[in-house]
Amino acid sequence: MAADSAVSNGGENILTDSDDDILNPNDLSEVLAAGTKESHDKAENSPFVKDFLRGRIKRELFKLGTTALYYVYSAIEEEIEKVKDHAVFAPLYFPSELHRQEALAKDLAYFYGEDWESQISCSAATQPYVDRIHEVGRDDPVLLVAHAWTRYMGDLSGGQILKKVAQRALKLPPTGEGLNFYHFEGIHNPTAFKRLYRSRMNELEVDAETKAKLLDEANLAFKLNLDVFTELQEIGKDIEEEVQDIGPHAHGDMGGDISKCPYYAAKMAVSGNTTYACNFAKTVLRQSTVQVILATLVAAVAGLAAWYLM
Amino acid sequence: MADTQPTEMMEEDEPFFSNLDLFLFSLIAGLLIYWLIFRKKAEPIPEFKKLETAAPTTRDTSFIDKMKKTGKNIVVFYGSQTGTAEEFSNRLAKDAHRYGMKGMAADPEEYDLSELSRMGEIDNSLAIFCLATYGEGDPTDNAQDFYDWLQEADADFSGLKYTVFALGNKTYEHYNAMGKYVDKRLEELGAQRIFDLGMGDDDGNLEEDFVSWREQFWPAVCEHFGVEATGEESSIRQYELKVHTDLNMNKVYTGELGRLKSFENQKPPFDSKNPFLAPVTVNRKLNKGGERHLMHLELDITGSKIRYESGDHVAVYPINDTAMVNKIGELLAVDLDTVISLNNLDEESNKKHPFPCPTTYRTALTHYLDITNSPRTNVLYELAQYASDPKDQENMRKMASSSAEGKAQYQSWVLDSCRNIVAILEDLPSLRPPIDHLCELLPRLQARYYSISSSSKVHPNSIHICAVVVEYQTKTGRVNKGVATNWLKNKMPTDNGHKATVPMYIRKSQFRLPFKSTNPIIMIGPGTGIAPFIGFIQERGWLKEQGKEVGETVLYFGCRHKNEDFLYQEELAQFEKTGVLTTLNVAFSRDQAEKVYVQHHLKNNKEAVWKLVHTDNAHIYICGDARNMARDVQTAFYEIAEELGGMSRPQAVDYIKKLMTKGRYSQDVWS
Repeated sequence: MAADSAVSNGGENILTDSDDDILNPNDLSEVLAAGTKESHDKAENSPFVKDFLRGRIKRELFKLGTTALYYVYSAIEEEIEKVKDHAVFAPLYFPSELHRQEALAKDLAYFYGEDWESQISCSAATQPYVDRIHEVGRDDPVLLVAHAWTRYMGDLSGGQILKKVAQRALKLPPTGEGLNFYHFEGIHNPTAFKRLYRSRMNELEVDAETKAKLLDEANLAFKLNLDVFTELQEIGKDIEEEVQDIGPHAHGDMGGDISKCPYYAAKMAVSGNTTYACNFAKTVLRQSTVQVILATLVAAVAGLAAWYLM
Repeated sequence: MADTQPTEMMEEDEPFFSNLDLFLFSLIAGLLIYWLIFRKKAEPIPEFKKLETAAPTTRDTSFIDKMKKTGKNIVVFYGSQTGTAEEFSNRLAKDAHRYGMKGMAADPEEYDLSELSRMGEIDNSLAIFCLATYGEGDPTDNAQDFYDWLQEADADFSGLKYTVFALGNKTYEHYNAMGKYVDKRLEELGAQRIFDLGMGDDDGNLEEDFVSWREQFWPAVCEHFGVEATGEESSIRQYELKVHTDLNMNKVYTGELGRLKSFENQKPPFDSKNPFLAPVTVNRKLNKGGERHLMHLELDITGSKIRYESGDHVAVYPINDTAMVNKIGELLAVDLDTVISLNNLDEESNKKHPFPCPTTYRTALTHYLDITNSPRTNVLYELAQYASDPKDQENMRKMASSSAEGKAQYQSWVLDSCRNIVAILEDLPSLRPPIDHLCELLPRLQARYYSISSSSKVHPNSIHICAVVVEYQTKTGRVNKGVATNWLKNKMPTDNGHKATVPMYIRKSQFRLPFKSTNPIIMIGPGTGIAPFIGFIQERGWLKEQGKEVGETVLYFGCRHKNEDFLYQEELAQFEKTGVLTTLNVAFSRDQAEKVYVQHHLKNNKEAVWKLVHTDNAHIYICGDARNMARDVQTAFYEIAEELGGMSRPQAVDYIKKLMTKGRYSQDVWS
């Protein structure tokens, strides 16, 4: 019953009744896309992802995120290699286009140094994700399709936006260090590749029951990703690193506290920014004190001169 | 005793005088110093009062008032999510001073953009919009309010002059939707566009798109406002020439793209920066008659560890014709074997040189620079200063402008007449630029891509290419030759005892056979568009030999004359005989009075086509010309779906679109 319901639900979301005879609404790629829409939206709108897209990403969090991805992709790709020649996965085996482990390793070496492997560890939220991938690989390898689809297609699409944001926000070099993960070197046309991937998914021999299980697994994959995002969000609250808004740091070594720069304060005051006008006034008042001191000195000198002349 | 006393008195006097003098001097100095300081420090008080007075009137969000106060006449608004549009905006604002104008970049979120209607209050004013498209054709966060307002706006923008540069990515459906909308909407509200919408494609090279657009944009601005580049008649060079007289030749690039000496010491992996020098083992003409030269080449990849799949592309780095390179040396009276470096004047830049340096002019013009395509207008603009004939100079500047007359002149004199840089130098004898500046301006020579016409299952160590040699007569009576195909044409297997080699690498394609050999396929590839399908058919033949069940394999091929350019006719006949190719349809377009193309054959076989597509899950593949053939074939499929599927045109369009999304309708097309 659950199986029938899931498939039927997916079908309804994809096409109207009048289209039923035109194209097969039960193609796996369409079942997964429609059936995970809610999960996808939830992940996309999580606080962590939203902050990321606005360029409010802490370097330490980005490193931890890259670490989590390394463990997840290592697991996925390890299990994929075991079934690469099996009918359940072979059509989707694209190692030179998709494999991410090596790229992530380069990024971790950039962030942590040559001994990066001894500095990283699998976090509390990442471990269940990794465990689930290995469990699936051992017990029901066809479900690896759901994990691969969820991760690879997501990073091929949204990852291109995240890459630019991270590069600007974290001031990573334009030559790509720290961002190899997002660069799919073997794919020169992501749209065409995603179409190829969908056509290969639809060539898998999967019955209705398996499709239902794949849909459940894909939704679980989204949930596991969301758990990692939530964990990163919580860790972020304890990190004191300044959130670096996108924009040039025109004020050098002031560590981002631009309100302490007198030039910037004056400039903002002129433009009517009330916060900075207040700071500027304080600066002026402090200088008034100097004038009092000077006046006193002048008076003392004058007195001294008068005494001498008399 | 008396003598002693006078001495004592003198001693007393001396110290007293000395102390007095010192004290007096200090007093005067101190007084002077403090007085001056007091006067200087008095300044802040009036300034502070002035600030308080001024503050209220500048608290609002008026960019017009800000522009007036700071003397700016150009404002660049950016819609930026990842910071790229903001960066471009800052660069444009900075550029303005070179042209006697003053620019400022502005965040549309911080200003009241309804004030655009007041732009006419500022002389020679211009608004530039640098807008990225985000997500599904949406504005960026900071441009959302502007976008919302613009849709409802009923403003009069007749005083506004504007232009738009859009940032997007062609792989998304709503490519540059935001930029296109603003460009159109502002015009609807009465604003005057002074330069064409620029389209940046992040899937290609966004930076190059921006720089190319910018290099034509500023000349258009100067012409529109009647201004000249201030005090800088000559352009600002980006690279500095350094001539080497005693350099070790081992450090001089000889055509390598990445690592020096990489052509002598070849090491995998091979890619765009490290091409493999593949020997040519076969080079034969394919057509039996006709004026054209269609050829089949085979490249040997033994020992390279290179892997490829049917449908992948081979990228080939061509070399310019020696005669053309020498001609440039003659025209500019330069020793082409001079060893040089061009070093970026911007030391912060990641791009140290425009091409690998140190090298010789000869190597640069032969291996690195594009000298066969018509130069873009920015090149003409930069070179104009070197024309000693004022009329030539004026014409070159005009062709680089955005005026209708200038565009028409560029189109006819440069593009329609197919003039490359050599032809331009020949036809403008007064134009003799320094060769180093010319090398700086010419674009890089790009790799050419060919669909591989073999299967790695059948030919694991050999990559086959099918290409037509490009050669044509120009209006000026010259013969222009395609750089890559003419160079390949002359690559014979035995070349005076040396192996002729081709620098190449594989670009993986998404144009792939279905994984299951039982899936039927329909291939449509006229002319050299047949290339990837030879590989596909070879692979299905190999699978059949392995005892696998192979689905229907249908080919629609087209050429001009049966007796001239029916490519791979013998091979196709053999595949038909063995049953690998289940159906072969050939359209000969010029063998009879009425022209017949592949789409006509598709429609003649509509019942069989529809059954394969709709019932049997066939995958459709189209390879060839994008502008005409691919569009006509797509129209043919719409018509078949309407007729046999009982659909309306919109339904048929949607049907084909869904096939594309599912990867069952693939195109490998070029324009």
